[in-house]
Amino acid sequence: MRVTFGVLNALSALVLLVGVFGVVQPRFWALDVPLTAIALVLLVSAVGLLAKLPWALRALTVAAWVSFALGLLVVSLILLTMVFLRGIHGDFGVAALAVSSLIVALLVPYTVVLPALELLWLKRQSAESRP
Amino acid sequence: MTPRTLRRLLAIWLGVLCVCSMLIFCAVRMDRTRSPTGPYVVSIWERGQRSARTVVASEPEHALAGEAARRGTQRVVERIVDSAPILLHSWLLLGHSLVPARDGLSATYQGRTAYATPDDLLALEAYEHIVPLGPLSLIMGIDVNKVLAALSRELGTEPVELLRHASFRRFAVTSDSGYPREFREADVTVDAVRKSIQDAARYLARNQRRDGSFRYELNAVTGGDSEDYNFPRHAGATYFLARAANQLHDTVLARAALRGAAFMKDRFTLHCGAHACVGEGDQVDVGSSALAVLGYAELLAGGNEEFRAPTLDLAGFLRSQQRADGEFQHFYSVSEQHPIDIQVEYYTGEATFALARANRVSGDARDLEAARRALSFLVTRSAWFLGSHYFWGAEHWTCQALADLWQRAPDPVALRFCLDWQAVNRNLQFEAPPAPADYDGGISRGPFMAPRLTPTASRLEAAVATLEVARAAGVPAAEVALLEHQVKRAFAFLLRYQFSPGPTHLMPNPRQLAGGFPGSPLDLHVRIDYPQHAAGALLRYWELEQK
Repeated sequence: MRVTFGVLNALSALVLLVGVFGVVQPRFWALDVPLTAIALVLLVSAVGLLAKLPWALRALTVAAWVSFALGLLVVSLILLTMVFLRGIHGDFGVAALAVSSLIVALLVPYTVVLPALELLWLKRQSAESRP
Repeated sequence: MTPRTLRRLLAIWLGVLCVCSMLIFCAVRMDRTRSPTGPYVVSIWERGQRSARTVVASEPEHALAGEAARRGTQRVVERIVDSAPILLHSWLLLGHSLVPARDGLSATYQGRTAYATPDDLLALEAYEHIVPLGPLSLIMGIDVNKVLAALSRELGTEPVELLRHASFRRFAVTSDSGYPREFREADVTVDAVRKSIQDAARYLARNQRRDGSFRYELNAVTGGDSEDYNFPRHAGATYFLARAANQLHDTVLARAALRGAAFMKDRFTLHCGAHACVGEGDQVDVGSSALAVLGYAELLAGGNEEFRAPTLDLAGFLRSQQRADGEFQHFYSVSEQHPIDIQVEYYTGEATFALARANRVSGDARDLEAARRALSFLVTRSAWFLGSHYFWGAEHWTCQALADLWQRAPDPVALRFCLDWQAVNRNLQFEAPPAPADYDGGISRGPFMAPRLTPTASRLEAAVATLEVARAAGVPAAEVALLEHQVKRAFAFLLRYQFSPGPTHLMPNPRQLAGGFPGSPLDLHVRIDYPQHAAGALLRYWELEQK
């Protein structure tokens, strides 16, 4: 699992960095700074896990909690925005709902499911390492 | 974290999210369907300015009766149907809390309430706040600064103070202003279409200067005129006027078309290699020359022989810009006398259509062959790109070229292309309900934005051309019926918003704007290409129905 999480965190970091600096134009600090910070935390934990460094699990704990908390926050904000706009504009059709739902569906595996699995694994690791 | 802790955490998160969602939804929603309960906002408008206002709880018909009796005034009653609070004192939330063209905003400050009704927001041009973000222009809700400034003037305070301490509500109204007018699909009759064409053409003729140029873009709510100018759009307006003059046998329109064409022929015709081209400066585009060809060819059809030689010369220029694969080089350097192989939107379709029309005048097989090759280039879709069935450019000229060429060089691939494009446009068409009834038939540009008229109109030009070919080519009746239904719904949308006479109470000079088509329900500007595309589509439909 150590290698799997290392690879997945490295991939998530890469997707975030490419997405922020390769796709999204122009630069906007409110988006760039937090996403870059998350990407760096993920990258550090990935390096630690893949290189079997002594601080790897601690780095993974930080990365997983940061991703999990921010993931829930981002998903919440998107859902609340959908509800707010639905309240303001009324029934605005299937297309807007489908696009918003697609965004949430794309985000959840990386921002909620992966860090949750990591946190569960970390718990098992700490239980197994106890004498 | 244990699985149990995770489950608990997610359950709490979901519960909090559901409660927050319910609270937000219930707080901000309004019921637009219920009957107006008041209060009633009664306004007196004079030459586009609001000169008096009162808010009454009942009997609005008697309010401001004295002011309404004055000459040149219009009284408008906006009945409040429902209202809801604006959440928090946030610039961002306030900006996104109003539905464009449908909602107003009230502010209560120190016991007094001021209303910015939909009419006020239209007059302020405050429904769309466009924020440039790099190469993008984002619409970030309403223009909060303009609205706050207007409300704070009425309440005798500063906008910042108002945003911090006032209590805001959005409200929905029904208005007796008569704009947009009620117009359904069943109202799209041959007579209604003819009148609309004539009004739009007269708008262009009325707003033409002596030298043949047009007032490029009139702002209905200020009466102002834009300094900009654009040759392809001038040529397009001239083309429409010439067509309308020929079809409606209208001498006023014919004179206007001649003036518009002479403006290009005598003042803005340059030498591009061995041929003439239209434009000015060091560089010209093929769009101006292509649309000039269309205009000249129409004038020729009306008996103006002096345009024969210029038509043939410009057609020669267009042919000389064509590449071996059928595409055109869209620019020509006049100073260095060579083509520039850069492409932009529209021009290939315009040049294709122009060469198809030029062939009718010249009888020159080279024009027909060039048009045929260009059409084939435009409609070829790569088998390797599955997205080609879902991503489309602006193909309104392509499908008009298809129709013009159909009898001489039928291209079934182009017909399939245009039918597929119209199927995509059908998906983008607003349908009421759930869309507002006024938007039914318009082409959507997003769920939270009002549709624009010209994208609908230009797609309609192509839709009617496609309909013409579909009927001639024996396309299955069910597909033709879908296209007919789509076309008539879109025309109803356009006719609802044409200035006939439009929201005259908001206009300093309604007569000048009569017959024009605005940019959108929120953008009451009339640029010369708006009536050109809208009435051009109507004219094409009228011609088809005459056949």
